Amino acid sequence: MDEKFDCIIVGGGVAGLAAAMTLARKNLKFLLIEKGEFAGAKNVSGGVLWGEDLAKLVPDYWEEEDGGWERFINHRRLTFLDEGSSFSVDFKSQHFNETPYTGVVVLRSKFDRWLAGKVEEAIAESDYAMDSFVAPNILVEEILMEGDKAVGIRAGEEKFYADSVILAEGVNNLLTRQVGLQDSYVPADHMLTGVKEVIRFDQKVLEDRFQLNGLSGMSNEFVGYATRGIEGGGFLYTNRDTLSIGLVLGLKDLREKGSPDKKLTPYDILNDFKNHPAIADTIRGGEVVEYSAHIVSSGDKRVIPEKLYKAGLLVCGEAANLLMNAGKAIQGMDYAIRSGILAAENIVQAKEKNDFSEARMKAYQDELEKSYIMKDINNFQDAVHMLHDPLMYQKVPNLINHFGRQFFSISNRPTRKAREMMRESVKEHASWWELVKLGIKGARSL
Amino acid sequence: MKNLTLNEQLGLVSYRNQAKSEIKPHIRVDTEICNSVCPHKCTTYVCPANCYTMDDEGMVHFQVEDCIECGTCMYACDQGAVSWEFPDPEIGRGVNWNFG
Ligand SMILES: Cc1cc2nc3c(=O)[nH]c(=O)nc-3n(C[C@H](O)[C@H](O)[C@H](O)COP(=O)(O)OP(=O)(O)OC[C@H]3O[C@@H](n4cnc5c(N)ncnc54)[C@H](O)[C@@H]3O)c2cc1C
Ligand code: SF4
Ligand code: SF4
Repeated sequence: MDEKFDCIIVGGGVAGLAAAMTLARKNLKFLLIEKGEFAGAKNVSGGVLWGEDLAKLVPDYWEEEDGGWERFINHRRLTFLDEGSSFSVDFKSQHFNETPYTGVVVLRSKFDRWLAGKVEEAIAESDYAMDSFVAPNILVEEILMEGDKAVGIRAGEEKFYADSVILAEGVNNLLTRQVGLQDSYVPADHMLTGVKEVIRFDQKVLEDRFQLNGLSGMSNEFVGYATRGIEGGGFLYTNRDTLSIGLVLGLKDLREKGSPDKKLTPYDILNDFKNHPAIADTIRGGEVVEYSAHIVSSGDKRVIPEKLYKAGLLVCGEAANLLMNAGKAIQGMDYAIRSGILAAENIVQAKEKNDFSEARMKAYQDELEKSYIMKDINNFQDAVHMLHDPLMYQKVPNLINHFGRQFFSISNRPTRKAREMMRESVKEHASWWELVKLGIKGARSL
Repeated sequence: MKNLTLNEQLGLVSYRNQAKSEIKPHIRVDTEICNSVCPHKCTTYVCPANCYTMDDEGMVHFQVEDCIECGTCMYACDQGAVSWEFPDPEIGRGVNWNFG
């Protein structure tokens, strides 16, 4: 391995693997380094991979009997919780049964490993079958620079050299900080702590309970009492014979409101979420098989590094804090895939012209700006901010459930008009003025 | 469904190099800072693996063995007490997720 590579990719998560697949197909000589025992060993997501880009990496992935994914989503639900009630918007459509699917649930330890296998296959078919590598179990400790240009990496005593480096190291982006593209201390303000459990069921029980058919699946997002007044939300996704259930908690808010005495810790809040009557009934009889946690960015633009490139170096995926969480879904993996592809395409062009200068690398960020990733991030900043407004994660869910309780109660007394009920719910939990402001914000943000 | 305690939850985690008695810690905490100037000691309640604990005297302690590498303390500590690295694959601890 002493020869120089065209590119070294740091990180075998979805971003790094998407970049690797692209480079392999374009016949570049690369080295992908992953610190986990295998790709995926260190990674956590909720996990729905949204959109159709997976088919770009593995065409017809749905044909495979036991591919790396769990279920495709054809049933979506958004639930507002108060302490004892839940009010859901529920949508199921057979249009979502068609391939390419628009969302698949994944478990990263299995999915990333499977995808890495596909990359190995692509390498085997490339001109560099013997010279490109996916190398797990190695920790990259330093990016080697010559002047302002990245020229390789150091892992322990070993150094590897390349024309270019793609940083796909995920949100805890120590190397992106090391090369000065992100501040060395990133404050808690735009970060969330995710906690999750995987709960196993008899597959038949799971399928009956969630009305799953074949490999169809359900995604459910939660706002309100899920997080006990801490900003954030909850999720529940169906895998083949397990459920992924968890929370994302605004870290700054958790620092301010959390307390061991009040049992406001990530694990206590997760337990409370699981005990909520609406959740407890759906997870009954299951067996917890894993507890995990990971940081996730908020999607706030303020935490995205201004520059995602240097001479000979590109940053993609959540290492660049590319993420969208506007309430109805978390999009991190699809952003990781698309940005990984764009980064690799830029390296392919750079290689053709043998130009790895900063100006050439900038073209990646220009492409990213033109892609749906930055368009969405730019367009939905108001929605991202709205989600961090107590009105949105506390008052509105309470109000909706208060209304729901009245609207769906049938008693042997004269029934009031819905409008009157609404007025009362608003009086109880917020003010019209707050709602008008929220409505204006909301209308603008969507 | 019965709630698991955190110890039970962590009991489900596969850690690396668990057989090794000596590991190289990937996180170092300057508890002098915790126990002198830190106004909130938040890591004792935001760490999802309870690696930061407070004793009866209110003193903060840190152990790296249970760390699940989530990254939370790297952001939560605004006092500069936490030096955070990824564990060495050979001589560190860290996680190996079965599901992720
Ligand atoms: C609780 C939770 C729920 C989420 N839910 C969803 C969801 O439903 N849908 C969605 O799309 N996104 C979701 N996300 C976000 C999503 O998981 C991330 O955005 C996504 O994993 C980012 O992919 P990545 O490839 O950029 O980084 P990662 O997946 O973090 O991969 C980075 C890789 O780099 C490796 N690495 C890092 N540093 C080094 C180094 N120095 N040397 C060698 N290797 C290194 C790591 O081991 C890792 O394999 C969720 C996140 C969390 C925490
Ligand atoms: S927040 Fe930092 S300084 Fe405070 S107790 Fe935690 S580690 Fe120590
Ligand atoms: S990285 Fe996460 S699990 Fe490890 S000590 Fe920090 S907060 Fe706790």
